[in-house]
Amino acid sequence: MSEENWIEVGSTDSIEEEDLIRFDHQDKTFCVYRLTDGFYATDGICTHEAVHLEDGLVMDDEIECPMHQGIFNIKSGEALSPPACEDLKTYPVKVDNDKIFIKID
Amino acid sequence: MKNNIIILGGGQAGIYAAREIRQNDLKSNIKILGEENLLPYERPPLSKDFLLDKKNEEDLYFHSSDILKNENIEFENVSISKVDFENKKLFAKNDDVYSYDSLLISTGSENKKLSLDNNLKDDVYYLRNLEEAKKIKEIVSNKNKITIIGGGFIGLEIASSLSQLQKKVIVIEIGNQLMGRIIPKQIADLVQNTHLEHGNEIILNKQIEKITKKNGIYEILLNDNSLIETDFVIAGIGSTPAVKLFENTNLKLDNGIVTNQFCETSIKDVYAAGDVSNFYHPFYERNMRLESYQHAQNHGICAGKNIAGVKTEYTSIPWMWSDQFNLNLQLTGICDEYDEIIERGNDINNGVIYFFLKNNKIRGACGVGVIGKVGRDIRITSKLTEKDTIVDKQILSDQNLKLNKLIQK
Repeated sequence: MSEENWIEVGSTDSIEEEDLIRFDHQDKTFCVYRLTDGFYATDGICTHEAVHLEDGLVMDDEIECPMHQGIFNIKSGEALSPPACEDLKTYPVKVDNDKIFIKID
Repeated sequence: MKNNIIILGGGQAGIYAAREIRQNDLKSNIKILGEENLLPYERPPLSKDFLLDKKNEEDLYFHSSDILKNENIEFENVSISKVDFENKKLFAKNDDVYSYDSLLISTGSENKKLSLDNNLKDDVYYLRNLEEAKKIKEIVSNKNKITIIGGGFIGLEIASSLSQLQKKVIVIEIGNQLMGRIIPKQIADLVQNTHLEHGNEIILNKQIEKITKKNGIYEILLNDNSLIETDFVIAGIGSTPAVKLFENTNLKLDNGIVTNQFCETSIKDVYAAGDVSNFYHPFYERNMRLESYQHAQNHGICAGKNIAGVKTEYTSIPWMWSDQFNLNLQLTGICDEYDEIIERGNDINNGVIYFFLKNNKIRGACGVGVIGKVGRDIRITSKLTEKDTIVDKQILSDQNLKLNKLIQK
């Protein structure tokens, strides 16, 4: 795991619990979440239609798309409810000195 | 036990029912009979991304033929002309006969047509299926001034798309507001302003008296004697449940096929789901018929469970959306039973939502905003409605306070 792939997203206090922030890096968009047991990251665009998940509802480890209510598990990326049927890609997250980093391939 | 399960109607409710049955029943034969020679596909993009060339036909299918094959779900393109409920048989126009043990009717709805007293019936276009969308896309490519009769979701979505294709668009609506059947006037007016800002002309409170054609140009005479000249006419004036096949049978009909909360009709082993069903909703304690994406999907899934023997009540809180220009409009619950209205937000850029309350509980809400701005709050509202929560009106009305604080875990 090379160090340069870890990208700084922001400080841990920038995300409230059970909430997310959108993070854009180069030409990609990610969502970074704060759940009760830590931080997680997924792709920022719904796999059903090209809609940003940043305005979606985070609840019980799930993110729900604001457009068509497709639901994904934030930790595994699994598509849990139609119309979403393709899983959401997830990314490793680490916290160092109150800063959040995600590992982008 | 191995059964023959037939799903009459190859739309969204049908395909989701079929897959749900298969999840619970690996043995039975499942066959979908569809009138269109296409696997079930998504209709919402037809008036939007398909017209705008942002999506093509291949993008519309719910599931590939491989998935259906893997799950052993058959799809057949056939038109049924007669149903014999007593002997559990369906008769096709080509004389084929289909026997069933369980039948799901998911025939959807059909466009209402304008009653025109001349020979212009084929000149007015409607949009419900892919073939119609293709025709409209082809024809509008060399037309400039297009008139849409009907200011509901479909008409306004087409108006938005055609405006984005640089067409001059006129919308004629018989009512005194847009989307009047289900959308509160406050929200409709915000949407209307956006259409006007983009150059669309909106004419309210007017009826069509007559349409004539002269030298390839249509003249629409309105009931105030004004005349509109236009290159092309599209109508979206509502729909009716597709029940003609059942009119002379003992299947109970009343604004669609009457079903209980388990998708069961008045006839044993016959179920109905989606647009065609006038179903009992236990939460609202009344029957309703809905024409929406979420309903077609979830009602289909619920019917699938019940057909497979997993007794399941349908309790989904209604939810629907419309996308026009850069706006996303969403509605949850029902907005016509209330004793109080609460407004959240006043700027369409941040989203505006009206909540409809009865006895301090939310019955429904409708919001509109730049894409993404109302979805989360509307979704939370659905959950609050479902849980019958007494809500803190201060939080509802203050956009700086998050609505998820209201959800009791």
